[in-house]
Amino acid sequence: MNGRAKVPNRDEVTTINDDGSRYMIHPSDVRGRFSLLRRLAAVVMIVVYLALPFIPVGGYPAVFLDWEHSRFHLFGLTFVAQDLVMVFFLITGLGFSLYVATSVLGRVWCGWACPQTVFLEHVYRRIERWIEGDGPARRQLDRAPWTFNKLGKRVLKHALFWLFSAVIAHLFLAYFVSPSQLLGMLQHGPQGYWAPFFMVTVMTLLLYFNFAWFREQFCIILCPYGRFQSALIDEHTVNVGYDEKRGEPRGKVGTEGAGDCIDCRRCVQVCPTGIDIRQGLQMECIGCANCIDACDDIMLKLERPRGLVRYASQRNLSGFTTRWKRPRLFLYAALMLLGMTVLYLSSGRLKPTVFSVGRLPGIPYVLSEGKVRNMYQVRIINKRHEPRSYRLNVVAGGVAVERHGFESTVTVAAEMEDLQTLVLLVNKEDYRKGLEFELELVPEQGSGSQKKKVPFVGPDF
Amino acid sequence: MKDNPQFDEKIREHTFDGIQEYDKKLPNWWLWTLWLSVVFAVGYWFWAHRWNIRPTQEQRYAQEYAKAHPEEAAAMEAKMLTDEELWALSKDMKLVMSGEKIFKSTCVSCHGADMKGGIGVNLVDADWKHGGKPTEIYNLVANGFLPKGMPAWGPQLGKKKVEQVVSFVLSKHSPDEPVKVVP
Repeated sequence: MNGRAKVPNRDEVTTINDDGSRYMIHPSDVRGRFSLLRRLAAVVMIVVYLALPFIPVGGYPAVFLDWEHSRFHLFGLTFVAQDLVMVFFLITGLGFSLYVATSVLGRVWCGWACPQTVFLEHVYRRIERWIEGDGPARRQLDRAPWTFNKLGKRVLKHALFWLFSAVIAHLFLAYFVSPSQLLGMLQHGPQGYWAPFFMVTVMTLLLYFNFAWFREQFCIILCPYGRFQSALIDEHTVNVGYDEKRGEPRGKVGTEGAGDCIDCRRCVQVCPTGIDIRQGLQMECIGCANCIDACDDIMLKLERPRGLVRYASQRNLSGFTTRWKRPRLFLYAALMLLGMTVLYLSSGRLKPTVFSVGRLPGIPYVLSEGKVRNMYQVRIINKRHEPRSYRLNVVAGGVAVERHGFESTVTVAAEMEDLQTLVLLVNKEDYRKGLEFELELVPEQGSGSQKKKVPFVGPDF
Repeated sequence: MKDNPQFDEKIREHTFDGIQEYDKKLPNWWLWTLWLSVVFAVGYWFWAHRWNIRPTQEQRYAQEYAKAHPEEAAAMEAKMLTDEELWALSKDMKLVMSGEKIFKSTCVSCHGADMKGGIGVNLVDADWKHGGKPTEIYNLVANGFLPKGMPAWGPQLGKKKVEQVVSFVLSKHSPDEPVKVVP
């Protein structure tokens, strides 16, 4: 490299050297409209990511994947293990909304909202910038011999990286244990909480490794979403692009016949994945818009119109108009709506109580003292975190029915189930084939009574 | 494909729709994950399959199952209790209270909240239909008496809970009380 930054080309990944070793990117600082907006978006995203487990919605944290009790709380909905099918629709609903966004605006998720970018660019790289200086200074420090000064900077940087990784890992744990439990564990120390302690330790290690060293390798090589987004993009998709018609041929200011690009390489210096956007849309590009701000700044100084590098579709850059309405957009939107609609409808059926009625094993009915007797077992599962009381009504529908069992209110402890025996008696004269009763389980607090039809069997003369 | 003249790279022979690829070295970190996986696989093979330090899946399933169904594991080990032992259980207030809870959700519909019967028999008087000795009561609860509609609770409740509910019934009686069997 001879002390100079590597020159990107389209035939290899800049961040991997020919011998397979890593080439560390040190993007330079950039200021501008998109940088500002992106920083604001990042603050919002960080608050959202870290606050989700702490905002109560309907009595539970907005996101609480309660591993211990196999209950998953998402924005007021509570899923138990049996509701797992709905996760399919949750994921298709959310997943296809990302498809829609990608087909319209390219990798806008990657550049603006993904936790990897948000934490890397707006937390870790800010720390690095603060301690080691701007891109060229960092590159110089990398090459510099080990002095006391360099050692100090590196120790401080990595200590802060560790600290932030540990804090983020702990807050991440709050997605899986309740905030009060987390606080209790923190005060108590690892004794007795070895599983969560292990998880947080591994998480801290992974976060540190990822944000201190791995960085854009995750987006370029590991992230599956980054990869299949390429298949969702077409020539009408708006990406970050270089206006070749306007920029080429490159030349210094005043050169005869030169385009607007003065080949100052600012767009390359600020790129966090080490590409040259002037070589066209590349799979490394995470759509961060750093190069747009960098180029706009130069254009402003040269008093040329900004937008030599801009958000534009391939069609727009080749001089045509962008078509927003495309079949793929409708297809993705339809799939998104399908997933979300099914999720909405099925989550409406989620109930805080499971109510089921079975027959007692043994004999189907007993005939004694002129009466037909059927015996049932009522099962109630209380999915809530607090005890609940229930009543049972028998809707006879004109048939005189004598009922024993489950006569008074029954209280089921939090997250427990209860079995009640219910005996129904019908006079032999009243019995007819195909008799049915409706059982109604009524919770004492709140609404949401549930009904079940149960057949009543007897001698069919 | 080659628009960069500084670049003299070997191109792999195969072609797909005119697309060819370079023969590049994998990132070193990627190769590390491969070698570490190989090392892990060898260690894991000895740990899990050769030296059997880790319990097999069947063993772990059996452990988890026993943990989730303690009453079955206990039933496998425990022998049948004698009359005296059941009487002794009926003096244990904790057992009796658990038994009462089971009675109130399971038995009350036929035997009544006051245990004086209804559809089922009276459990607090001296008359017994199927024998009044503790072991006889236990057997009746566990195996039922289907002609009269008494279900077999053994498979449903398990040994422990049947013992508890029998203790509760026995707590309303005493060993020196007269027992009359009326069929």
